[in-house]
Amino acid sequence: MAEERKSLIKIKPKRYKDGEIVKVSFMVMHPMDTGMGKDKKTKKIIPAKYINSVKFNYNGKDITTMTVWESLSVNPVFTIYMKVNGKGKLTVTYTDNTGEVHEKSKKIKPKG
Amino acid sequence: MQRRDFFKKIGSVAAVGAVIPVMSFAADAPKPVSPNKMDYKVAVDAITGGKAPVKSSKVKLKVPEIAENGAVVPVTVEVDSPMTDSDYVKAIHVLSTKNSNARCIDVNLTPANGKAYFSTRIKLGGTQEVVGLVELSNGEFLIASQSVKVTIGGCG
Repeated sequence: MAEERKSLIKIKPKRYKDGEIVKVSFMVMHPMDTGMGKDKKTKKIIPAKYINSVKFNYNGKDITTMTVWESLSVNPVFTIYMKVNGKGKLTVTYTDNTGEVHEKSKKIKPKG
Repeated sequence: MQRRDFFKKIGSVAAVGAVIPVMSFAADAPKPVSPNKMDYKVAVDAITGGKAPVKSSKVKLKVPEIAENGAVVPVTVEVDSPMTDSDYVKAIHVLSTKNSNARCIDVNLTPANGKAYFSTRIKLGGTQEVVGLVELSNGEFLIASQSVKVTIGGCG
């Protein structure tokens, strides 16, 4: 919990207009341990630690929610499309099976 | 011939000798089990509620045919849908047929997405099929699958 995780929200294209459909990627540095792997040095099983759920919230409305299991890769990427609907804030929240919660937000500023 | 027999005997003894320690070791440390073990068929039934999904060309599943590293397999699911309030894609599920937990991710979409698209990277334990299961707003289920050859497994 104390560990600070790096995450990033990427929007493509960088300049977009109101009403345009843009590609949004959320990346996070997370180990995604399945609970089946072993530490090579200590030979002990690494306890499971994986992302449970991801939520994309845009201007107070959940546009996409995801239920995630452990078979996603290390440092996962989630890419979806989103319709830009005026100025606002996009917030991505994820929850971990150990109770870790992380939040990242990005301002949405359509031009033109 | 005698020489051959000798080697056969030696070989069998060696094989037995090799198996016993492995077995005793296995008994000591049980193989770790996935926290949410789920078979592919059970997973599909849990999602569809017993309904049979229809194979459709509307679902475009993009997976490499040969994945050198099973730990990072890019998966893209795209669905041909207008994404209006009356007709949209409700959910995209990504499944694998032979992973210990068949379910990878469930994505619940809304009309605010504008386009039914989802992309991520998954882990595959071995050569198997990746399945994209799509739920439409009218309750129909569409399915698309592709086999992926994995040279190095990525689980565990």
